Amino acid sequence: MLDWSEPTSQKPIVVPQVVLPAETDGHAAGLGVIARGAGRVSVDEKAMINCRADVNQLLPLKYRWAWEKYLSGCNNHWMPTEVSMQADIALWKSRDGLTEDERRSIKRNLGFFAASESLVANNIVLAIYRHLTNPECRQYLLRQAFEEAVHTHTFQYIVESLGLDEGELFNMYREVPSITDKASWALKHTQHLDDPDFKTGTLETDQAFLRDLIAFYVCFEGMWFYTGFAQILSLGRRNKMVGIAEQYQYILRDESIHLNFGIDVINQIKAENPHLWTRSFQDEVRQMLTDAARLEAAYGRDTMPRGFLGLNAALCEQYMHFIANRRCAQLGLGPVFAETENPFPWMSEAMDLKKEKNFFETRVIEYQNGGALNWE
Amino acid sequence: MRHRPVGLGLMGFQDALHILRIPMASDGAVKFADESMEAISYHAVSASSDLAAERGRYPSYEGSLWSRGILPIDSVKLLSDARDGQELDASSTLDWTSLRAKVKAQGMRNSNTMAIAPTATISNICGVSQSIEPAYQNLYVKSNMSGDFTVVNEYLVRDLKARGLWDEVMVSDLKYFDGSVGAIDRVPDDLKELYATAFEIDSSWLIESAARRQKWIDQAQSLNLYIAAPNGKKLDELYRLAWERGLKTTYYLRSRSATHVEKSTLKGTDGKLNSVSSIPAIVEGKACLIDDPTCEACQ
Repeated sequence: MLDWSEPTSQKPIVVPQVVLPAETDGHAAGLGVIARGAGRVSVDEKAMINCRADVNQLLPLKYRWAWEKYLSGCNNHWMPTEVSMQADIALWKSRDGLTEDERRSIKRNLGFFAASESLVANNIVLAIYRHLTNPECRQYLLRQAFEEAVHTHTFQYIVESLGLDEGELFNMYREVPSITDKASWALKHTQHLDDPDFKTGTLETDQAFLRDLIAFYVCFEGMWFYTGFAQILSLGRRNKMVGIAEQYQYILRDESIHLNFGIDVINQIKAENPHLWTRSFQDEVRQMLTDAARLEAAYGRDTMPRGFLGLNAALCEQYMHFIANRRCAQLGLGPVFAETENPFPWMSEAMDLKKEKNFFETRVIEYQNGGALNWE
Repeated sequence: MRHRPVGLGLMGFQDALHILRIPMASDGAVKFADESMEAISYHAVSASSDLAAERGRYPSYEGSLWSRGILPIDSVKLLSDARDGQELDASSTLDWTSLRAKVKAQGMRNSNTMAIAPTATISNICGVSQSIEPAYQNLYVKSNMSGDFTVVNEYLVRDLKARGLWDEVMVSDLKYFDGSVGAIDRVPDDLKELYATAFEIDSSWLIESAARRQKWIDQAQSLNLYIAAPNGKKLDELYRLAWERGLKTTYYLRSRSATHVEKSTLKGTDGKLNSVSSIPAIVEGKACLIDDPTCEACQ
């Protein structure tokens, strides 16, 4: 397996003396006519977007971080059915195990995620993949697309385990206005990428592509998912719906890489195309994050109109401001909200600290896939 | 009731080392493992023999190793013989000759007396360190069916307080470095050594200690091993060492996951999952980006 322990070749890079075939339809996507006898791709020719070199040559690697994230994703492999739902089923079916407020919040939370994982997957496969012209990044996108499938599977598994109304849950993104508002805001940014005539390569279209990355990686996966995690983990720490809480910990681990892959992609595109990152575009991005936080606050009020022990809409809004400022910092932008603390100090226990799990009582999260074992 | 086996074990080994100020990865710890287990063994065997005198031997006693005057320590010699005279430590500090005579005379109440259990949950309830385990981390979460519990190494906190180093920044650093003091500059070296955690210690020290303990135990030990990033070579060396030292058993091998989630309660984002700088370099013409880690020319 190709990994960091193997020496990388230090041979000087010979730039092949060939003229690349003229841009034809499908060339950047990798579906063009094969250029017989064309020169081999060198690292220098690789680029995140608008690459004119063959997009089907993974090696030599240029963006090792993308390859590394692909390996990490594989080593973190899990399946939802490995997590026991026994305790959740008992609690969900018991008459007074959960309050009405908690039930409403759980259902809306599941409803939001159930459709969102599909929307994110669609965006990767149908919009981003085509325009991200780098094979190592595409390698990660394929892994991520599979992980989105695993996450959607998780919601199917939860619906089945708890005997929830599947129609109600999977339609929430169309029937619950606060969820519809979020989904349609994000979809707005992906729709024109799906236009068969859309092509990156101009200032407008390259910026449109960046907007899509920001809407999905930063706002959708990097902000909205985080309130969802907070809601479920908050219940989990009170020993409620512990199976779902465990599933969410796995999803959170995956999403952490998704988000940070997106951030790296955006920053790499910025570095290669500084002309895209204009002052006005930066302002626009900051506005996007502000809007996303506003939509999330509305969703918070809708899912938790009265709050429940340890969580309410106001705290979730504060948390969203905290997260939005972090995302700004990761993109090299100034904060969009007044500086604020994370209102949920218990996340230190639920997320930050490493867990020593009891093998007999719960499934360990600190492991790596057996195939990752290296033999030096 | 034919054999009436029991399994006396121990917990709080790491606590004892902290109190004695002996690092887990040291000859001192190996010696302490040996002597502490010898004491437990001596008194366990002696007590079982006294019970036999008072209430009778276990029914299947006749013909047992005990009845033939063979104590756990004697099995070291048997092992050595079976391995063509391989040298194994058989040192002792207590008067085993008279205990052996007492066992032969009085017999034993229990066919087996000792085994080291993991005590994963009861140690937390008792408020001591787990079994014979090294500190998992100096700050971590214990997670089981009853929920999550934050565990802090009190000894470390006390030492840091005594040296005026326990403050908000230290708490954040401990969180950032996943409960390890190894990477925190202002922690003095002696404390780094004393409070090295399970993944920082070379697990072969755990095997050395366990091997010396094994001399005294008639059953076996639940011995967890830790390798942050296992590879075939390390696994091969570690488990061969366990066999060579005459260990009967090992227990789980704990490792780390490939990635972790972003820490949510620190001031800024920890950035551990990001590789690309967020500040675009200003480039004119075909120059290389000085802060671009992927730039081949600058490597």
